[in-house]
Amino acid sequence: MPEFEKIEYRPKPVRELLLEMKNLSELMIDLAYSAALFNDKDLAEEVLELERRIDTLAYLLDMTIMIAARDAEDAEALAGVAKVAGATDKISDAAGDIAMIVKQGIGIHPIVAEIFERVEEHIARVRIEEKSILIGKKIGRLNLAARMGVNLIAIRRGKEWIVKPEDEEKLMREDILIVRGAPAGINLFKELAEGRRRRIGG
Amino acid sequence: MQQDGSEGFNRIVEKFVELKNTSELMIDLAYSALLLNNRELAEEVQRLEEYVDKLHTEYEMAVLLSRFKEEEAKGILGLIRLGVVTEEIADAAAEIAEVVLRGIEPHPVVRLVIEEADETVTYVPVSESSPLVDKTLREARIPEETGMWVLAVKRGEKYVRPKPDLRIDAGDVLIAFGYAEGEEDLRRLASPSS
Repeated sequence: MPEFEKIEYRPKPVRELLLEMKNLSELMIDLAYSAALFNDKDLAEEVLELERRIDTLAYLLDMTIMIAARDAEDAEALAGVAKVAGATDKISDAAGDIAMIVKQGIGIHPIVAEIFERVEEHIARVRIEEKSILIGKKIGRLNLAARMGVNLIAIRRGKEWIVKPEDEEKLMREDILIVRGAPAGINLFKELAEGRRRRIGG
Repeated sequence: MQQDGSEGFNRIVEKFVELKNTSELMIDLAYSALLLNNRELAEEVQRLEEYVDKLHTEYEMAVLLSRFKEEEAKGILGLIRLGVVTEEIADAAAEIAEVVLRGIEPHPVVRLVIEEADETVTYVPVSESSPLVDKTLREARIPEETGMWVLAVKRGEKYVRPKPDLRIDAGDVLIAFGYAEGEEDLRRLASPSS
């Protein structure tokens, strides 16, 4: 049986709690599909860790909402918040289910690769090669989303996974990045990471 | 009915691609509906939920009808479970949309969260001077140019699904989602200030 932590009330604004739940739940879907596509158990483990995090946040949010409601009007407005938070929790559980397929070694039929070739947004695993101009660059400064429609969702550095890297994080040689975006942007990013393209803009 | 192996697999791929795209579109649409407190968008999410249910059944049939070999059984199980997940995601989106349809004005904090999230939903009008006018969505290359994906196009009172062949008119309102950084770029592209 898994261990369940006791969750004690800590004052934290509803806005922060819900924001984190929403952001994490969406990130988790991408990470979980990546874990499935690349059959990566460590990444699946990261997803399951995030799922536990969301469970904790869901408890804290419930408690906060209960304290915040003073009258019927409050309760009506906050019921909507609880419902949305519940949905993010459900989305994270769904992502967790994908991760479990990978973790349990069931695996997914190889045609999954073809599936991911054909979905609108592509997911790719890209390695930063020695010659790449991206080495030493801060992620925030690269402006990948605005420039080429690419989102960096996780970095594998040695044995560590850095999920949702901060803007200040610098890219290093041999980092393995999981990126998501429009196919043309992903190709451009690959060329940069592999050192085949020397300029980011233009 | 038995199917030829490759044709069967092709069908599985096709159905799953549609399941995955639709379920993720639904989440974004559901948050848009909430942000704009818009019933039509919320109803569209509900319709898509029914569509996903139907699609999911077709997908499962396609998987079961594929002539897989014994050693492929585990991978096939993985495919079935993956299908279940897309359906769960679609359900969650429908629940978000339900809040709008129940006519509850959600707490302002919900709107704040959607606007502040890493991935945000935005709506921008297309002005006559925009280079987007008269281009199809495919030609406009909005995701490549801005990192934003168009979820729906509001034309007059109607919401139009963003098919690649859809031609953009001046006066359209693009409902798009993506990382917050792309929002400004999209705005500049759709409504360039003269």
